[in-house]
Amino acid sequence: MNALEVSHLKVLLGNKVVLDDLSLSLAPGQIAALLGPSGCGKTTLLRSIAGLIRPSEGQIRFGKQLVSFSSVHLPPHKRKIGYVPQEGALFPHLNIADNIAFGIDRAVFTKDQIRQTTKEMLALTGMEGFGKRMPHQLSGGQQTRVALARALSIKPSIVLLDEPFSALDAELRAELRADVINLLRSQNTTAILVTHDREEGLVSADVIALMRDGKIVQSGSPEDVYSSPISPTIAISTGDALVLQASKLSDGSTDYILNPVKSSAHSVTAGHIVIRPEEIKLSKSVSSDSINGLITKIDYYGHDAMVAIDVADQHLQVRIPGPFDFNVGQNVALEHVGPVRFFANN
Amino acid sequence: MLLTAVGAVAAISMIPFVYLLVRASDKPIDEIIQLLFRQKTLEVLATTASLVVCVVVINLVLGVAIASGLHFVQVPIRRLLVIPAVLPLAIPSYVFTYTWVALVPSFSGFAAAVFILSISTIPYVVLATLAGLRSIDGSQIEVARSLGLNPVQTFSRVVLPQIRGHVSAGALLAGLYTMSDFGAVSLLNVETLTVSIQNMYRASYDRSAAAVISFVLIAFSILFVMANESIKGRSTNNQLLKSLSVKTPLIQKTYLQFTTVLIIAAFAIVAVIVPFYVLLTRFFSNPVAINWVSLASATFSTVSVAAFGAVIALVLSAPLGYLLSGAPSRFAIVTNKMVVIAHALPGVVVGLALVSIGSKLGGLYQTTFLLAFAYAILFLAKSVTSMSSSLARVPNGVKDVAATLGLNQWAVVKKVIAPIAAPGIGIGTILVFLTAMKELPATLMLRPTGFETLATQIWSSGSINRFNEAAPYALILVLVAAIPTFLISRPDKEEQSFNYESIGGPSERS
Repeated sequence: MNALEVSHLKVLLGNKVVLDDLSLSLAPGQIAALLGPSGCGKTTLLRSIAGLIRPSEGQIRFGKQLVSFSSVHLPPHKRKIGYVPQEGALFPHLNIADNIAFGIDRAVFTKDQIRQTTKEMLALTGMEGFGKRMPHQLSGGQQTRVALARALSIKPSIVLLDEPFSALDAELRAELRADVINLLRSQNTTAILVTHDREEGLVSADVIALMRDGKIVQSGSPEDVYSSPISPTIAISTGDALVLQASKLSDGSTDYILNPVKSSAHSVTAGHIVIRPEEIKLSKSVSSDSINGLITKIDYYGHDAMVAIDVADQHLQVRIPGPFDFNVGQNVALEHVGPVRFFANN
Repeated sequence: MLLTAVGAVAAISMIPFVYLLVRASDKPIDEIIQLLFRQKTLEVLATTASLVVCVVVINLVLGVAIASGLHFVQVPIRRLLVIPAVLPLAIPSYVFTYTWVALVPSFSGFAAAVFILSISTIPYVVLATLAGLRSIDGSQIEVARSLGLNPVQTFSRVVLPQIRGHVSAGALLAGLYTMSDFGAVSLLNVETLTVSIQNMYRASYDRSAAAVISFVLIAFSILFVMANESIKGRSTNNQLLKSLSVKTPLIQKTYLQFTTVLIIAAFAIVAVIVPFYVLLTRFFSNPVAINWVSLASATFSTVSVAAFGAVIALVLSAPLGYLLSGAPSRFAIVTNKMVVIAHALPGVVVGLALVSIGSKLGGLYQTTFLLAFAYAILFLAKSVTSMSSSLARVPNGVKDVAATLGLNQWAVVKKVIAPIAAPGIGIGTILVFLTAMKELPATLMLRPTGFETLATQIWSSGSINRFNEAAPYALILVLVAAIPTFLISRPDKEEQSFNYESIGGPSERS
């Protein structure tokens, strides 16, 4: 039984089709990352799942429960969804403890129970001692932690996070992201994280769903989505990629700049090949048999470096790890060591 | 120099207060006590208090309902619907009274006064509440819904606590308006404190007694201002948390759409359509009686003296507004309180004070300058508020950047501060202008002999029976006042015109 099952969802805002025939399913405890350019419908999908928008077609199920299908529309306050919008949206008129306790049903729980849960949530998110502060006294990262604590306090069936880290600087962002993901995993929470940061998606999620123009164009494990993109453009949405002219030959081999085929077989299909920059190895042993190029630029990042190389009339980007001793102006030999991903022109 | 200027402004705003103190102390203390506690005074005080309470309660219910409907509910021509909710600002209470009496001859008494003053003041609460609602981030409402709150709970636990300060400020304006109103209550035969003061002044020339009763009115006003301060003080400043604000989703429930349209339509009928209908029919049914020359001259007098008053208020408000826009010092805060208290002084009281002082000054007495000056004192608080909030919208970072780009202090004011703050300051000045045009009691007391404004012409045509003569003046006054009212409400602009945070201005997060 899936924790979340979205099938054939269509959402109109005004006359504009924002989501179109969108399907997505998540097993209990899975964390999915929705990745895509801004305006592709990521937030709209979250808001539809939360019940803040009413889809015009398709259905949404939480486990066995049907929450959205034609005339069925469970209002948001009955869905038990933990929602963490961009920038947190803490209630400015309430202190941190009251913000966290906000959604706990006062008719069901006693004051002591509510206080206890609030305390647990503060501890869980590393915010002990902040209960009496007001939202404007917290930093951006702390506000995000409180927003998460508030969402988790109602023991939600699913947590939806809408770019929760986008306002933070890089270092804090990585740290908070790790904390949040660990926390969600420790609670075995099913969650969807919207992001436009490719690495954030890959590092956090069990499932990557790539969105374009209101559709999920590819989904799968981070490894699958990264290593087996369904098209050159999709490849770029999970990481850097070289897209090179190529042709498929009648003997099954692929001809491209790093693999010139010298046989007599003739070109059957013209197309492109996608290579990740780290799938090319460089060496100094240049020979007449090897594919050679000239280093024109090195962007040094510390843990690795991006090397720009001119091969014949093509400019290639190659990622090489940590310590290296290549220099600009040097001649190097290139070797493609990864899978050959060929996409025919249509 | 700035502090001296601010001190001078504070002193000016205290003139009426000091005068009344001096004048009231003429009377022996036992006579004062007797005056304060005689049956008549207590009755009048009770009438005034009940009138204010009724009007404020009606305002809170209807004003908040109209504003919430306009903000949250999907209704046809939503943005234009704010016009009928705000337009009554252009209609003085005595004109409302005339038109309703013309329609319903038996219209009189306490309930009638509650009705007239409610429709006159609801726009204040609507505008203030709308401003509060627009400052709430839409995603807070979505979060509350996802946390299990139904729409009604969301409104009471998320929305209401955050707009409390705004609503209270609107209710304060409505209450002060009611307390200081003179025209409607005297036409409807309801004796409130203002009517008593005017009667004492006019009938017996017992200015000391009038001054004593004025203090009752002032004490009442101050009490009201303090109540508002304490409510405002408890509400939090939600400006501190800015997010990429999500547009508030509009409600599409049929019964709410129907109710919203119904309430606004009913309000538009009683507060806009009826007055305009009566004024127009009276205007066209009796064209012979219109004295075009006097109509034109009264219009010119009204506009010019109100504009003069607005300019004086603008000049007087500049130093204090500037001080308040930064991190205000204790001195600035105290001064501002004094200006606000002066704002709570009814026109009758300021008129009384300036008449007496003016008569001793000889040259100034019975000049349009003194009248314009009275307007400036009466409405200085409006001007100061818009001045300080507009100046506070200029981000410090922008000023600093301008300075590093080589602009001197004056160039920074001219090229950076003025262009950003000018629209807001302009609106404040227009507001003073609008209120001054409608002002009646101070105008009656301070105008030079033979100087007629639209308000005094309407008043002197006076008795209900001669309303046909007053109709043209009333129509012109309402039409002229409608222009600034429209400019202030800007129904075409839902959000504030310019939001610095949205283009990466200084984050106010600590």
